[in-house]
Amino acid sequence: MEQETPILENVEQELAIVEQQQRQQLAEEVEQSANVLQFMDSLDAYLTLIHSLSSTLRQGWLDLASARHSMGVSRVNTVLLDHKFHPASTSLLVTQDEEKVDSMEPHFTLCKWASSGNEKLLLGETQSDQDKLQPQPRRRGGSQLYEEKTSHENKASHQVDQVQRERCKSLSVFGTLVSPKLRAAQLSFETALETLVEIANMRSTMLCAFDKVHKMQGDSKG
Amino acid sequence: MIADEDTVVGFLLAGVGNVELLRKTNYLIVDSKTTVKQIEDAFKEFTAREDIAVVLISQYVANMIRFLVDSYNKPVPAILEIPSKDHLYDPAHDSVLSRVKYLFSAESVASGRR
Repeated sequence: MEQETPILENVEQELAIVEQQQRQQLAEEVEQSANVLQFMDSLDAYLTLIHSLSSTLRQGWLDLASARHSMGVSRVNTVLLDHKFHPASTSLLVTQDEEKVDSMEPHFTLCKWASSGNEKLLLGETQSDQDKLQPQPRRRGGSQLYEEKTSHENKASHQVDQVQRERCKSLSVFGTLVSPKLRAAQLSFETALETLVEIANMRSTMLCAFDKVHKMQGDSKG
Repeated sequence: MIADEDTVVGFLLAGVGNVELLRKTNYLIVDSKTTVKQIEDAFKEFTAREDIAVVLISQYVANMIRFLVDSYNKPVPAILEIPSKDHLYDPAHDSVLSRVKYLFSAESVASGRR
């Protein structure tokens, strides 16, 4: 009986090791499946966004052609482009996801129609949008709430005015009076820009997921 | 941007045009007179600049410098191939999709089965 005890202990230890290895293998397979799924989802989203971009660009080119037809070829031309110093009104903010410390996945945010020295207007992050999402409190201290609401409305309208001014500045390269089709083209290309930023983010996600899948495949081959 | 005239004009209307001192722009308009060398130089310049986050390049232009585009692998600036007015977008030529398509190739499937 005494000789059997150490043998039993050895067997138990081996069984525990095998069980742990199996659990580890299962966890790796689950992680691998999750990475593959994330990769496939991001690939699908990437292709869908490219298709949407194609459609938006086609509309933009059509509007541009219509503007050229109504205003004349010489008025909608790159020859008119101003080569004096001026910064871009629309730019991108690049950040890194704080949760993914070991990943180099960048995140792009569009900053539309912000001129130097003015407050940045971030896409989807305007004060007016945030106020609309939050529930408005009932009027009890009437005048204070009214003042806050007026102040928010003033800020929102100031931002809207700024956006309009920047849009007009961009159009003014082609003259003071421009065809409505040129304005429509401007809006189409603005929409295309928003789609492009989504594509850039989806591209990052896809490449990050691909790297993880690739790495795990390499590890499993040994 | 490295694209045809209409695409560049459109995006300039959207406010992405930047002109620095010495008339240095953040775009190159590609037409029939633009050489491959000019496109290569513009691509190398834009991908080396720290103030550029995304490089938009028409896919038919990217095909002219395909080796250069496919060998680029930094996360920023991101290279986005876009369709042009006269040339449809082809996913088979996209540099990002080419990089990941090997996952679906017979070789990778066979090696996974071993």
